[in-house]
Amino acid sequence: MKLFFHVGRYSSLLARAFSRPEKHRIYLRKLFVEIEQLGLDSVGIVAIISIFMGGIITLQVAYNMSNPLFPSYLIGLGNRDTLILEFSSTIMALIMAGKIGSNITSEIGSMRVTEQIDSLEIMGINSASYLILPKTVAVVFIFPFLFVLSVFFGLIGGLIVGPAVGAVSAPDYINGIQYLFTPYYVTFSMIKTLFFGFLVATVPAYFGYFVDGGAFEVGAASTRAVVNTNILILVFDLILTQLLF
Amino acid sequence: MITIQNISKSFEDNLVLKGVSTVFEPGKTNLIIGRSGSGKTVLLKSIVGLHTVDKGQIFYDDRNFTQMNHKLRKKLRQEMGMVFQGGALFDSFSVEENVRFPLDMFTNKSLKEKQERVDFCLDRVNIARAHKLYPAEISGGMQKRVAIARAIVMNPKYLFCDEPNSGLDPETSLVIDELVHELTVDFNMTTVINTHDMNSVMEIGDKILFISEGVKTWEGTKEEILHAENKKLQEFVFANKTYREIRDVKIEKEN
Repeated sequence: MKLFFHVGRYSSLLARAFSRPEKHRIYLRKLFVEIEQLGLDSVGIVAIISIFMGGIITLQVAYNMSNPLFPSYLIGLGNRDTLILEFSSTIMALIMAGKIGSNITSEIGSMRVTEQIDSLEIMGINSASYLILPKTVAVVFIFPFLFVLSVFFGLIGGLIVGPAVGAVSAPDYINGIQYLFTPYYVTFSMIKTLFFGFLVATVPAYFGYFVDGGAFEVGAASTRAVVNTNILILVFDLILTQLLF
Repeated sequence: MITIQNISKSFEDNLVLKGVSTVFEPGKTNLIIGRSGSGKTVLLKSIVGLHTVDKGQIFYDDRNFTQMNHKLRKKLRQEMGMVFQGGALFDSFSVEENVRFPLDMFTNKSLKEKQERVDFCLDRVNIARAHKLYPAEISGGMQKRVAIARAIVMNPKYLFCDEPNSGLDPETSLVIDELVHELTVDFNMTTVINTHDMNSVMEIGDKILFISEGVKTWEGTKEEILHAENKKLQEFVFANKTYREIRDVKIEKEN
């Protein structure tokens, strides 16, 4: 029953959030701020995580393909496909749920407990739309770029680590990342990132918007938001993989 | 003028407001007083529509607020200003951005016109040289004054204040009280203040509504409160020994 309650309340919140904005110019300005705060400020962490991720995948693939019958360029191929299909979309979304999601919940939750949301409502402003719409559009817009960056830095990570530990030579690795490239994998992951971006923005916004209490409850809501967003990302990953392949 | 007719509000099984009726007149400072948990804040939030009432009606100058659709409510809300207990200023905006925000959202004024209005409102609440500061960088009293400036920036017909003096020292509280009272008279606003502060009651209470356990127990003026025979009201207002002595001296003088 509680699940239905949350689904219903989440849906009605989204209906309010995606209604016509009061003043487009203000929303557009807010959108650019959100793109900067939620998206551009995440580039650094995405780059660092992706470099390590790419390096580690390269090592793992190399250790599991020590059979001399396997050509070493397959290590590059393995890293590329793993990054494109799962790591740069799903794992990155899980990480972003922690960074962006908790940020959204704590920001909106703090505004709720300090009556800033009531203040918006009293002014005649649709608080759900004003607070959630720009964030959602910003995250959905920025996620595909973060995905591309993640794949790029992941491949760079593999290129650094693979030859550095002697697992694969640089020419073989570069040959591998170009070998049997399937463009549909990118399309598939791009579609996934759009869904994940939507979840990463709206689910934490929901938990923040309906916080009741004080600082402790905001913290608890942030935790709940990240956990629930992660679960939903994995559920949607499963569904989309089944649907799109 | 705001007319409240027999409003009730409950949260699950807890009936918080029980058929409250009253009239708040323009140009007057109307105070809602009562013990903590008596239903004052619920009453105020019901009047402004932050809570939906279970029963009863609320009229803003003959406009039935309880029967308005979302669009009409939104329009009416542009005639309201509210000062929240903690100020509720937007943390990410500077003082002047906070005050300008309603103008940005609802008017097509030029930046110069908006700036003039912001400066006027901030001057009116005696805020100088803090325009570019952020809420976290100013004192609690200044935050309240900025919140008042933001509440009046759209020239509201109705001003609501939820415990505007909470957390402030007596001197600053007096400044806030006088400011709200002046603004009420100058702009002929219908002002409703939720307060615990007995100084406010004695200083600016043109009309006082005493709520006890969700029921309107007494209403009258600050002068009438001295002679009120309601026991609960007397216990609440004159709980402090000093107030009791002042009351006794005043009554003695009158006699």
